[in-house]
Amino acid sequence: MDSTLPSHGHVPVTTQAPGTGIVAQGLARSFGTVKAVENIDFVAEAGKVTALIGPNGSGKTTLLLMLASLLRPDSGSIRIQGIDPERDARSVRAVLGWMPDTLGVWESLTAREILTTVGSLYGMGKAHARARAAELLEMVELSALADTPGRVLSRGQAQRLSLARALINDPQVLLLDEPASGLDPGARVQLRMLVRDLAESGKTVVISSHVLVELDEMADAAVFVSKGRTVRSQTLAEAGEQVRGYTIVVTDLPALRQFLESASMAAAYQPNVENAGGTAKVKLPGDSHATELLAALVRAGIPVSAFAPSSGLLEETYLRLEEGTK
Amino acid sequence: MSISTPTRDAGKKSGLGFFAGIGTVFGLEIKQRVRSRGWYIMLAIWFVVIAAIVGLAALTVGSIDSSPDSYQSADSGIGQVMFELVIAFVLFFGMLIAPALSSNSITGDRANGTLAILQNTLLTPGQLLTGKWLAAWVASLAFLLVTLPLIVWAMTYGDVYLRAFPVLLGMLAVELAIVCAIGVGISALANRTLFAVMISYLVVALLGLGTLIAYGLSLELVKVDVEASEQIWPESYENGEYMGEWDEENFTCGPTLYGQQVYATDRNTWLLAMNPFVVVADAAPRPPKPERPESFGMAGPMGMISDGVRYSQAGVEYQVPCLNGVKTVGNPPDQAPLWPLGLGLQVVLAAGILGAGRQRLKTPAGKLARGTRVA
Repeated sequence: MDSTLPSHGHVPVTTQAPGTGIVAQGLARSFGTVKAVENIDFVAEAGKVTALIGPNGSGKTTLLLMLASLLRPDSGSIRIQGIDPERDARSVRAVLGWMPDTLGVWESLTAREILTTVGSLYGMGKAHARARAAELLEMVELSALADTPGRVLSRGQAQRLSLARALINDPQVLLLDEPASGLDPGARVQLRMLVRDLAESGKTVVISSHVLVELDEMADAAVFVSKGRTVRSQTLAEAGEQVRGYTIVVTDLPALRQFLESASMAAAYQPNVENAGGTAKVKLPGDSHATELLAALVRAGIPVSAFAPSSGLLEETYLRLEEGTK
Repeated sequence: MSISTPTRDAGKKSGLGFFAGIGTVFGLEIKQRVRSRGWYIMLAIWFVVIAAIVGLAALTVGSIDSSPDSYQSADSGIGQVMFELVIAFVLFFGMLIAPALSSNSITGDRANGTLAILQNTLLTPGQLLTGKWLAAWVASLAFLLVTLPLIVWAMTYGDVYLRAFPVLLGMLAVELAIVCAIGVGISALANRTLFAVMISYLVVALLGLGTLIAYGLSLELVKVDVEASEQIWPESYENGEYMGEWDEENFTCGPTLYGQQVYATDRNTWLLAMNPFVVVADAAPRPPKPERPESFGMAGPMGMISDGVRYSQAGVEYQVPCLNGVKTVGNPPDQAPLWPLGLGLQVVLAAGILGAGRQRLKTPAGKLARGTRVA
């Protein structure tokens, strides 16, 4: 069966243990006449990083707010670690960490105070909250700024503080709304490693982001939403099997063209103006086809200078979904 | 296919105690306030304004006192007047400042994105509101605290009626608490700070001015026709030959009755009950009436309000000296206190607004106002 054409809006059968991770079904939520979320199914397994991907205004933040027990869905059900947030929001919050897309920093409080205050709102004792705050400040590399008021933090620093805050209660389920925005490349790499570590320690991590290439390296699975609906759920392994665009750069475009046409492969060609070289874009169903084609090109003596996917795995899906909706 | 997800029983009690949660919110609020410079500037301006007013009052009252042909003796009540002036101004400015201070407490967090973070912890809406309310109250009490030197100054005159002293201060604190509760409650209900401040001001104005307007307008409704006779004064008073002390009670009532329209204010005085000034003034015990009626002019603002309300409560009998040809003199008898009714209604109003605010802060949130985001 062709794995690249799954039924839309279908949640893959999960093998997760009951009572862990996130399971949401048939979620809908409207604000007045605006239907922010129409029908979203969402599953995030414990020990995995699940990416939530969709264009602006597709309902990502609304979905995360519902998962974070802040917004009541009009219909549908949510289970966070097996708990229904509508019935027992307090128990959900005890196991949940939520990093909103807004910074949410108390301007006159220092980074350390923000963490200890939120810690004590989870029922931590003073000493415990202080120790936990110090540990997290170390982790997000804000120790040097621990006693600076929130208002002087840069966007990236505030973003890291927000992440530390979301982790203060050692949550089993972590919801990160655009965590990478405003971070410098170094901090992005750190975020990626941190998120991987958290998932490996058995936590459920949901991450929404626009930077899809980055999610490729972080996520185990992805849920695509568009116009308030789940349009696709796939694992990264599945994504690797789908048809992808590859860009081939050669110094002798006519030779490549002849090769591809003799192999009856469709491609889009773009010759260079100043020499015989150029690029060709082809679509290949899966990684194995890519390796075969590359080997064949080399064997045929085509002067290949670059051979790479035109876009990231998730980006590929995203773009194809975008095309599909047009 | 359905994924079975048994709802886990929330057997374990989460770790945040009721008072611990309130305490943390309280600390959070106070910390932010104490660290803002505007707060200190406001306190300083406050002190200067009230000190100027009280100082001018001391000067004015003092100059009457020292004039040679004055009836006043040393214990004429300058200290009491000054003390009551401080109380009246703290109440007046408190009603201007407290709504502004408390109306920002939740709308500000909403705009800043920090409200949702608090809501996402184990904190309950009740704890959040209570903590914010207590913080706003304590902050407004700071305004009372900085006027303490002025109160001490008034005390040095030695004639402050000590029995009324703690009651006036206590009721003032209670009124500030009510205004803060209204402000915080409206802040929870409103989406924008400006809107919250405006609505809080309107509600507080309704209490302070609205009650007066209602009282004034309702006078027309309590107009009654009574029969009265004229006052007959001794001849020496009439022809200007009298040189001694004027005795206002030295009259008799004539035999002829004629119709007269008066206001039966005993029927509509309750409208004033919710006025914060009336509540504070009415709750304070009044010093015993001095023998000489001239001293009446020396009453402070709170004393005047209290007397005015009592006369209004007493009704027709004390407005018409010769009602039905019967002479009525002296002070009206003690009336049933008005302040428990007023305070009770204020508490119901504040509790209602806080309750509605609490409903609004409940999450997962059902309804949201147009154009708002949770976070």
